[in-house]
Amino acid sequence: MTSLQFGRIAALAFLMTPMAALAGDASKAISLAGNLCASCHGEDGNSLVPNFPKLAGQQAVYLLRELKDYKSGKRESEVMVPLVASLSDEDLANLAAFYASQKAAPGTVTDPALLPVGKALYLKGNAKSGIPTCESCHEEDGSGGGKFPRVAGQNVEYALEQFKLYAAGKRTNGTRVMKTIAERMTEQETRAVAEYMASMR
Amino acid sequence: MKRTLITLALAATGFVAAQSVYAQAASSEKPPRAKGIESPGYVWNTPDKDLNRALDYKASAKRGKVAYKICKGCHLPDGTGQADALYPQLAGQHPSVTLKQMMDIRAGRRDNPKMAPFVGDWIVSAEELADIAAHLKSLPPPANNGKGDGKSLAKGKELYEKDCASCHGKNGEGDGKKFYPVVANQHYGYLLRETRESRDQGRRNASPDMVKVLKGYSDADVAAVSDYMSRLSLAKK
Repeated sequence: MTSLQFGRIAALAFLMTPMAALAGDASKAISLAGNLCASCHGEDGNSLVPNFPKLAGQQAVYLLRELKDYKSGKRESEVMVPLVASLSDEDLANLAAFYASQKAAPGTVTDPALLPVGKALYLKGNAKSGIPTCESCHEEDGSGGGKFPRVAGQNVEYALEQFKLYAAGKRTNGTRVMKTIAERMTEQETRAVAEYMASMR
Repeated sequence: MKRTLITLALAATGFVAAQSVYAQAASSEKPPRAKGIESPGYVWNTPDKDLNRALDYKASAKRGKVAYKICKGCHLPDGTGQADALYPQLAGQHPSVTLKQMMDIRAGRRDNPKMAPFVGDWIVSAEELADIAAHLKSLPPPANNGKGDGKSLAKGKELYEKDCASCHGKNGEGDGKKFYPVVANQHYGYLLRETRESRDQGRRNASPDMVKVLKGYSDADVAAVSDYMSRLSLAKK
Protein backbone atom coordinates (compact mmCIF):
# COMPACT_ATOMS: atom_id res chain seq x y z
CA MET A 1 0.00 0.00 0.00
CA THR A 2 1.39 3.39 -0.96
CA SER A 3 1.56 6.47 1.21
CA LEU A 4 -0.86 8.12 -1.21
CA GLN A 5 -3.44 5.47 -0.36
CA PHE A 6 -2.88 6.04 3.34
CA GLY A 7 -3.36 9.74 2.75
CA ARG A 8 -6.68 9.02 1.12
CA ILE A 9 -7.81 6.82 3.96
CA ALA A 10 -6.73 9.46 6.48
CA ALA A 11 -8.59 12.14 4.50
CA LEU A 12 -11.66 9.95 4.36
CA ALA A 13 -11.44 9.26 8.07
CA PHE A 14 -11.23 13.00 8.69
CA LEU A 15 -14.30 13.65 6.56
CA MET A 16 -16.22 11.03 8.48
CA THR A 17 -15.32 12.60 11.82
CA PRO A 18 -18.03 10.92 13.92
CA MET A 19 -16.85 7.58 12.59
CA ALA A 20 -13.17 8.42 12.99
CA ALA A 21 -13.16 8.22 16.77
CA LEU A 22 -14.61 4.75 16.56
CA ALA A 23 -12.86 3.60 13.42
CA GLY A 24 -9.32 4.46 14.40
CA ASP A 25 -6.49 5.20 12.03
CA ALA A 26 -5.69 2.38 9.63
CA SER A 27 -2.25 3.78 8.76
CA LYS A 28 -1.12 3.54 12.40
CA ALA A 29 -1.80 -0.18 12.50
CA ILE A 30 0.38 -1.27 9.56
CA SER A 31 3.43 -2.41 11.47
CA LEU A 32 1.42 -3.87 14.32
CA ALA A 33 -0.73 -5.86 11.92
CA GLY A 34 2.38 -7.02 10.05
CA ASN A 35 4.24 -8.10 13.18
CA LEU A 36 1.47 -9.51 15.29
CA CYS A 37 -1.44 -10.60 13.09
CA ALA A 38 -0.17 -11.31 9.58
CA SER A 39 1.24 -14.75 10.31
CA CYS A 40 -2.25 -16.10 10.89
CA HIS A 41 -4.57 -13.61 9.23
CA GLY A 42 -2.39 -12.79 6.20
CA GLU A 43 -0.63 -9.52 5.36
CA ASP A 44 -3.87 -7.94 4.16
CA GLY A 45 -6.26 -9.87 6.40
CA ASN A 46 -7.04 -12.50 3.79
CA SER A 47 -6.13 -15.44 5.95
CA LEU A 48 -5.10 -18.53 4.02
CA VAL A 49 -5.39 -20.80 7.03
CA PRO A 50 -8.85 -22.35 6.84
CA ASN A 51 -9.66 -22.21 10.53
CA PHE A 52 -8.56 -18.60 11.01
CA PRO A 53 -10.99 -15.93 9.93
CA LYS A 54 -10.49 -13.59 7.07
CA LEU A 55 -10.53 -10.03 8.35
CA ALA A 56 -10.13 -8.09 5.10
CA GLY A 57 -13.15 -5.93 4.39
CA GLN A 58 -14.73 -6.91 7.70
CA GLN A 59 -17.02 -4.40 9.40
CA ALA A 60 -14.92 -2.05 11.57
CA VAL A 61 -17.55 -1.88 14.30
CA TYR A 62 -17.63 -5.67 14.50
CA LEU A 63 -13.82 -6.02 14.45
CA LEU A 64 -13.42 -3.51 17.24
CA ARG A 65 -16.08 -5.19 19.35
CA GLU A 66 -14.42 -8.58 18.93
CA LEU A 67 -10.96 -7.21 19.73
CA LYS A 68 -12.26 -5.47 22.84
CA ASP A 69 -14.08 -8.62 23.89
CA TYR A 70 -10.86 -10.63 23.52
CA LYS A 71 -9.06 -8.05 25.62
CA SER A 72 -11.68 -8.13 28.35
CA GLY A 73 -11.94 -11.91 28.12
CA LYS A 74 -15.59 -11.75 27.16
CA ARG A 75 -14.80 -13.67 23.99
CA GLU A 76 -12.68 -16.66 24.86
CA SER A 77 -9.77 -17.81 22.73
CA GLU A 78 -6.54 -19.41 23.86
CA VAL A 79 -4.82 -17.81 20.90
CA MET A 80 -6.35 -14.35 20.70
CA VAL A 81 -6.75 -13.37 24.36
CA PRO A 82 -3.01 -13.37 25.19
CA LEU A 83 -2.18 -11.70 21.88
CA VAL A 84 -4.36 -8.64 22.42
CA ALA A 85 -3.78 -8.39 26.18
CA SER A 86 -0.98 -5.85 25.87
CA LEU A 87 -2.61 -3.70 23.19
CA SER A 88 -4.13 -0.32 23.95
CA ASP A 89 -7.70 0.59 23.01
CA GLU A 90 -6.21 2.87 20.36
CA ASP A 91 -4.23 -0.05 18.89
CA LEU A 92 -7.43 -2.07 18.70
CA ALA A 93 -9.32 0.73 16.97
CA ASN A 94 -6.46 1.19 14.51
CA LEU A 95 -6.33 -2.53 13.77
CA ALA A 96 -10.08 -2.64 13.21
CA ALA A 97 -9.80 0.28 10.80
CA PHE A 98 -6.86 -1.33 9.02
CA TYR A 99 -8.56 -4.66 8.34
CA ALA A 100 -11.86 -3.03 7.46
CA SER A 101 -10.07 -1.02 4.78
CA GLN A 102 -8.43 -4.05 3.12
CA LYS A 103 -9.91 -5.68 0.04
CA ALA A 104 -11.50 -9.07 0.68
CA ALA A 105 -10.20 -11.81 -1.61
CA PRO A 106 -12.69 -14.37 -2.98
CA GLY A 107 -13.37 -17.28 -0.63
CA THR A 108 -12.75 -20.97 -1.21
CA VAL A 109 -15.68 -23.30 -1.66
CA THR A 110 -14.79 -26.81 -0.55
CA ASP A 111 -18.04 -28.61 -1.42
CA PRO A 112 -19.92 -26.99 -4.31
CA ALA A 113 -22.70 -29.60 -4.08
CA LEU A 114 -23.93 -27.89 -0.90
CA LEU A 115 -24.27 -24.44 -2.46
CA PRO A 116 -27.95 -24.64 -3.54
CA VAL A 117 -29.06 -25.76 -0.06
CA GLY A 118 -26.85 -23.14 1.52
CA LYS A 119 -28.24 -20.41 -0.69
CA ALA A 120 -31.84 -21.36 0.11
CA LEU A 121 -31.12 -21.32 3.84
CA TYR A 122 -29.20 -18.08 3.67
CA LEU A 123 -31.95 -16.27 1.79
CA LYS A 124 -35.06 -18.00 3.12
CA GLY A 125 -34.14 -19.59 6.44
CA ASN A 126 -36.01 -22.66 7.62
CA ALA A 127 -39.40 -21.73 9.05
CA LYS A 128 -40.01 -25.31 10.22
CA SER A 129 -37.13 -25.23 12.66
CA GLY A 130 -37.31 -21.49 13.35
CA ILE A 131 -34.16 -20.48 11.50
CA PRO A 132 -34.48 -16.91 10.30
CA THR A 133 -32.82 -15.87 7.07
CA CYS A 134 -29.15 -14.97 7.31
CA GLU A 135 -29.54 -12.11 4.87
CA SER A 136 -31.73 -10.15 7.26
CA CYS A 137 -28.68 -9.22 9.36
CA HIS A 138 -25.72 -10.17 7.17
CA GLU A 139 -27.25 -8.76 3.96
CA GLU A 140 -27.99 -10.51 0.71
CA ASP A 141 -24.41 -10.08 -0.49
CA GLY A 142 -22.91 -11.16 2.85
CA SER A 143 -21.36 -7.75 3.51
CA GLY A 144 -22.90 -7.40 6.98
CA GLY A 145 -23.19 -3.98 8.56
CA GLY A 146 -22.05 -2.40 11.84
CA LYS A 147 -22.14 -4.99 14.58
CA PHE A 148 -23.26 -7.67 12.11
CA PRO A 149 -20.12 -9.14 10.55
CA ARG A 150 -19.32 -9.58 6.91
CA VAL A 151 -19.63 -13.29 6.08
CA ALA A 152 -18.96 -13.18 2.32
CA GLY A 153 -15.84 -15.10 1.36
CA GLN A 154 -15.24 -16.29 4.92
CA ASN A 155 -13.22 -19.47 5.40
CA VAL A 156 -15.50 -22.50 5.63
CA GLU A 157 -13.60 -24.09 8.51
CA TYR A 158 -13.76 -20.94 10.59
CA ALA A 159 -17.46 -20.41 9.95
CA LEU A 160 -18.23 -24.02 10.86
CA GLU A 161 -16.22 -23.73 14.04
CA GLN A 162 -18.18 -20.64 15.04
CA PHE A 163 -21.51 -22.38 14.40
CA LYS A 164 -20.37 -25.22 16.66
CA LEU A 165 -19.11 -22.88 19.36
CA TYR A 166 -22.34 -20.90 19.30
CA ALA A 167 -24.49 -24.01 19.48
CA ALA A 168 -22.45 -25.36 22.38
CA GLY A 169 -22.64 -22.04 24.24
CA LYS A 170 -18.88 -21.75 23.94
CA ARG A 171 -18.65 -18.64 21.91
CA THR A 172 -18.92 -16.35 24.82
CA ASN A 173 -19.67 -12.96 23.29
CA GLY A 174 -22.45 -11.63 21.07
CA THR A 175 -24.08 -14.97 21.57
CA ARG A 176 -27.73 -14.59 22.24
CA VAL A 177 -28.96 -14.28 18.70
CA MET A 178 -26.47 -16.55 16.97
CA LYS A 179 -26.57 -19.17 19.71
CA THR A 180 -30.32 -19.43 19.25
CA ILE A 181 -29.95 -19.80 15.52
CA ALA A 182 -27.01 -22.22 15.63
CA GLU A 183 -28.86 -24.43 18.10
CA ARG A 184 -31.69 -24.82 15.62
CA MET A 185 -29.45 -25.78 12.71
CA THR A 186 -28.39 -29.28 11.77
CA GLU A 187 -24.71 -29.87 11.12
CA GLN A 188 -25.46 -30.32 7.45
CA GLU A 189 -27.26 -26.98 7.39
CA THR A 190 -24.29 -25.22 8.96
CA ARG A 191 -22.01 -26.80 6.35
CA ALA A 192 -24.26 -25.71 3.51
CA VAL A 193 -24.49 -22.13 4.80
CA ALA A 194 -20.74 -21.96 5.43
CA GLU A 195 -20.08 -23.06 1.84
CA TYR A 196 -22.53 -20.54 0.47
CA MET A 197 -20.99 -17.73 2.52
CA ALA A 198 -17.55 -18.69 1.20
CA SER A 199 -18.91 -18.47 -2.35
CA MET A 200 -20.20 -14.91 -1.95
CA ARG A 201 -18.09 -12.00 -3.11
CA MET B 1 9.84 -19.63 6.62
CA LYS B 2 9.69 -18.65 10.27
CA ARG B 3 6.34 -17.00 9.64
CA THR B 4 4.97 -20.14 7.99
CA LEU B 5 6.01 -22.21 10.99
CA ILE B 6 4.31 -19.82 13.39
CA THR B 7 1.22 -19.94 11.24
CA LEU B 8 1.10 -23.70 11.28
CA ALA B 9 1.80 -23.92 15.00
CA LEU B 10 -0.93 -21.42 15.80
CA ALA B 11 -3.33 -23.09 13.39
CA ALA B 12 -2.79 -26.38 15.17
CA THR B 13 -3.22 -24.78 18.61
CA GLY B 14 -6.42 -23.06 17.57
CA PHE B 15 -7.80 -26.25 16.13
CA VAL B 16 -7.05 -28.33 19.22
CA ALA B 17 -8.41 -25.62 21.54
CA ALA B 18 -11.63 -25.42 19.56
CA GLN B 19 -12.03 -29.19 19.47
CA SER B 20 -11.73 -29.55 23.24
CA VAL B 21 -14.27 -26.79 23.65
CA TYR B 22 -16.89 -28.62 21.57
CA ALA B 23 -16.75 -31.61 23.84
CA GLN B 24 -18.07 -29.65 26.81
CA ALA B 25 -21.77 -29.58 27.51
CA ALA B 26 -23.91 -26.71 26.27
CA SER B 27 -25.15 -24.28 28.89
CA SER B 28 -28.56 -23.02 27.92
CA GLU B 29 -29.77 -19.65 29.06
CA LYS B 30 -33.30 -19.74 30.37
CA PRO B 31 -35.75 -17.39 28.72
CA PRO B 32 -37.08 -14.60 30.95
CA ARG B 33 -40.22 -15.24 32.97
CA ALA B 34 -42.50 -12.82 34.81
CA LYS B 35 -45.91 -13.07 36.43
CA GLY B 36 -48.78 -13.75 34.08
CA ILE B 37 -52.43 -14.67 34.04
CA GLU B 38 -51.77 -17.83 36.07
CA SER B 39 -50.58 -15.72 39.03
CA PRO B 40 -52.99 -14.58 41.75
CA GLY B 41 -53.72 -10.86 41.60
CA TYR B 42 -52.62 -10.61 37.96
CA VAL B 43 -53.45 -7.24 36.44
CA TRP B 44 -53.40 -6.92 32.67
CA ASN B 45 -51.13 -4.32 31.15
CA THR B 46 -49.56 -3.02 34.35
CA PRO B 47 -47.34 0.03 33.81
CA ASP B 48 -43.94 -1.05 32.53
CA LYS B 49 -40.90 1.24 32.55
CA ASP B 50 -39.45 -0.09 29.31
CA LEU B 51 -42.81 0.03 27.53
CA ASN B 52 -43.58 3.55 28.74
CA ARG B 53 -40.17 4.74 27.60
CA ALA B 54 -40.87 3.35 24.15
CA LEU B 55 -44.40 4.78 24.05
CA ASP B 56 -43.20 8.26 25.10
CA TYR B 57 -40.43 8.28 22.53
CA LYS B 58 -40.98 10.12 19.26
CA ALA B 59 -40.71 7.13 16.97
CA SER B 60 -39.62 7.26 13.35
CA ALA B 61 -40.83 4.80 10.74
CA LYS B 62 -37.76 5.65 8.70
CA ARG B 63 -35.36 4.64 11.45
CA GLY B 64 -37.59 1.68 12.18
CA LYS B 65 -37.11 0.39 8.66
CA VAL B 66 -33.39 0.06 9.42
CA ALA B 67 -33.87 -1.41 12.90
CA TYR B 68 -36.42 -3.90 11.51
CA LYS B 69 -33.42 -5.75 10.02
CA ILE B 70 -33.33 -8.19 12.91
CA CYS B 71 -37.05 -9.05 12.49
CA LYS B 72 -37.34 -9.50 8.77
CA GLY B 73 -35.56 -12.85 8.78
CA CYS B 74 -38.85 -14.34 10.02
CA HIS B 75 -41.56 -11.69 9.60
CA LEU B 76 -40.35 -10.90 6.07
CA PRO B 77 -39.36 -7.51 4.65
CA ASP B 78 -43.01 -6.51 4.12
CA GLY B 79 -43.98 -7.48 7.68
CA THR B 80 -46.54 -10.04 6.57
CA GLY B 81 -45.05 -12.99 8.45
CA GLN B 82 -45.41 -16.58 7.30
CA ALA B 83 -48.78 -18.28 7.52
CA ASP B 84 -47.53 -21.87 7.66
CA ALA B 85 -44.83 -21.09 10.19
CA LEU B 86 -47.30 -19.29 12.50
CA TYR B 87 -45.23 -16.12 12.28
CA PRO B 88 -47.85 -13.39 12.63
CA GLN B 89 -48.36 -10.69 10.06
CA LEU B 90 -47.50 -7.31 11.57
CA ALA B 91 -48.09 -4.82 8.75
CA GLY B 92 -50.52 -2.07 9.78
CA GLN B 93 -50.67 -3.17 13.42
CA HIS B 94 -51.16 -0.46 16.06
CA PRO B 95 -47.70 0.56 17.33
CA SER B 96 -48.92 0.35 20.94
CA VAL B 97 -49.90 -3.28 20.38
CA THR B 98 -46.66 -4.25 18.65
CA LEU B 99 -44.70 -2.55 21.41
CA LYS B 100 -46.65 -4.11 24.25
CA GLN B 101 -46.23 -7.59 22.78
CA MET B 102 -42.51 -7.11 22.14
CA MET B 103 -42.00 -5.77 25.66
CA ASP B 104 -44.04 -8.61 27.15
CA ILE B 105 -41.89 -11.16 25.34
CA ARG B 106 -38.76 -9.28 26.37
CA ALA B 107 -39.81 -9.25 30.03
CA GLY B 108 -41.15 -12.81 30.08
CA ARG B 109 -44.80 -11.90 30.49
CA ARG B 110 -45.55 -13.63 27.20
CA ASP B 111 -43.64 -16.85 26.58
CA ASN B 112 -42.01 -16.97 23.20
CA PRO B 113 -38.70 -18.79 23.38
CA LYS B 114 -38.43 -18.63 19.60
CA MET B 115 -38.53 -14.86 19.51
CA ALA B 116 -37.14 -13.83 22.91
CA PRO B 117 -33.47 -13.75 21.82
CA PHE B 118 -34.29 -11.39 18.96
CA VAL B 119 -36.10 -8.81 21.06
CA GLY B 120 -33.68 -8.55 24.00
CA ASP B 121 -32.01 -5.31 25.07
CA TRP B 122 -28.69 -6.74 23.84
CA ILE B 123 -29.89 -6.41 20.27
CA VAL B 124 -32.55 -3.65 20.24
CA SER B 125 -33.16 -0.65 22.51
CA ALA B 126 -36.62 0.43 23.68
CA GLU B 127 -36.37 3.34 21.24
CA GLU B 128 -35.50 1.05 18.34
CA LEU B 129 -38.52 -1.10 19.20
CA ALA B 130 -40.68 2.03 19.03
CA ASP B 131 -39.19 2.85 15.63
CA ILE B 132 -39.84 -0.72 14.47
CA ALA B 133 -43.47 -0.51 15.61
CA ALA B 134 -43.87 2.78 13.71
CA HIS B 135 -42.36 1.22 10.60
CA LEU B 136 -44.72 -1.76 10.79
CA LYS B 137 -47.71 0.56 11.19
CA SER B 138 -46.76 2.22 7.90
CA LEU B 139 -46.84 -1.04 5.90
CA PRO B 140 -50.00 -2.17 4.10
CA PRO B 141 -51.72 -5.26 5.56
CA PRO B 142 -51.79 -8.23 3.18
CA ALA B 143 -55.00 -9.40 1.50
CA ASN B 144 -53.56 -12.88 0.89
CA ASN B 145 -53.10 -13.79 4.55
CA GLY B 146 -53.70 -17.43 5.52
CA LYS B 147 -57.40 -18.34 5.84
CA GLY B 148 -59.28 -21.25 7.41
CA ASP B 149 -61.41 -23.82 5.57
CA GLY B 150 -64.38 -21.44 5.35
CA LYS B 151 -66.87 -24.04 6.57
CA SER B 152 -68.05 -22.31 9.75
CA LEU B 153 -68.04 -18.65 8.82
CA ALA B 154 -71.64 -18.02 9.90
CA LYS B 155 -70.87 -19.43 13.34
CA GLY B 156 -67.62 -17.45 13.41
CA LYS B 157 -69.43 -14.23 12.54
CA GLU B 158 -72.01 -14.81 15.24
CA LEU B 159 -69.35 -15.43 17.90
CA TYR B 160 -67.18 -12.55 16.75
CA GLU B 161 -69.99 -10.01 16.77
CA LYS B 162 -71.27 -11.21 20.13
CA ASP B 163 -67.95 -11.53 21.98
CA CYS B 164 -65.08 -9.87 20.15
CA ALA B 165 -66.25 -6.88 18.13
CA SER B 166 -66.78 -4.66 21.17
CA CYS B 167 -63.01 -4.53 21.69
CA HIS B 168 -61.43 -5.65 18.39
CA GLY B 169 -63.86 -3.65 16.26
CA LYS B 170 -66.51 -4.71 13.78
CA ASN B 171 -63.92 -4.89 11.02
CA GLY B 172 -61.15 -6.26 13.20
CA GLU B 173 -59.49 -2.86 13.45
CA GLY B 174 -58.64 -3.11 17.17
CA ASP B 175 -57.96 -0.03 19.27
CA GLY B 176 -54.45 1.33 19.59
CA LYS B 177 -55.26 3.51 22.57
CA LYS B 178 -56.38 0.48 24.54
CA PHE B 179 -53.65 -1.88 23.25
CA TYR B 180 -56.28 -4.03 21.47
CA PRO B 181 -54.74 -5.58 18.37
CA VAL B 182 -55.90 -5.44 14.78
CA VAL B 183 -57.08 -8.96 14.03
CA ALA B 184 -58.08 -8.31 10.42
CA ASN B 185 -55.69 -9.65 7.75
CA GLN B 186 -54.02 -11.89 10.33
CA HIS B 187 -53.04 -15.45 9.42
CA TYR B 188 -55.63 -18.04 10.40
CA GLY B 189 -53.08 -20.43 11.90
CA TYR B 190 -51.72 -17.73 14.17
CA LEU B 191 -55.20 -16.55 15.23
CA LEU B 192 -56.20 -20.13 15.93
CA ARG B 193 -53.18 -20.79 18.12
CA GLU B 194 -53.35 -17.52 20.03
CA THR B 195 -57.11 -17.71 20.62
CA ARG B 196 -56.74 -21.28 21.88
CA GLU B 197 -53.75 -20.37 24.02
CA SER B 198 -55.64 -17.40 25.45
CA ARG B 199 -58.54 -19.65 26.35
CA ASP B 200 -56.22 -22.18 27.97
CA GLN B 201 -54.15 -19.50 29.73
CA GLY B 202 -51.03 -20.43 27.78
CA ARG B 203 -50.87 -16.89 26.44
CA ARG B 204 -49.84 -15.51 29.79
CA ASN B 205 -50.23 -11.82 28.99
CA ALA B 206 -53.83 -12.20 27.81
CA SER B 207 -56.51 -9.85 29.08
CA PRO B 208 -58.63 -11.54 31.78
CA ASP B 209 -61.71 -10.12 30.03
CA MET B 210 -60.84 -12.07 26.92
CA VAL B 211 -60.04 -15.22 28.84
CA LYS B 212 -63.45 -15.00 30.51
CA VAL B 213 -65.19 -14.63 27.13
CA LEU B 214 -63.31 -17.59 25.67
CA LYS B 215 -63.91 -19.87 28.64
CA GLY B 216 -66.94 -21.60 27.16
CA TYR B 217 -65.49 -21.90 23.65
CA SER B 218 -65.08 -25.36 22.15
CA ASP B 219 -62.17 -26.03 19.79
CA ALA B 220 -64.67 -25.75 16.93
CA ASP B 221 -65.77 -22.33 18.20
CA VAL B 222 -62.16 -21.18 18.37
CA ALA B 223 -61.60 -22.37 14.80
CA ALA B 224 -64.80 -20.73 13.54
CA VAL B 225 -64.05 -17.33 15.08
CA SER B 226 -60.41 -17.50 13.93
CA ASP B 227 -61.48 -18.26 10.37
CA TYR B 228 -63.94 -15.36 10.47
CA MET B 229 -61.25 -12.95 11.78
CA SER B 230 -58.80 -14.06 9.08
CA ARG B 231 -61.35 -12.90 6.50
CA LEU B 232 -61.78 -9.43 7.98
CA SER B 233 -59.82 -6.91 5.99
CA LEU B 234 -58.66 -3.35 6.45
CA ALA B 235 -57.36 -3.19 2.90
CA LYS B 236 -59.04 -0.49 0.82
CA LYS B 237 -61.71 -2.02 -1.32
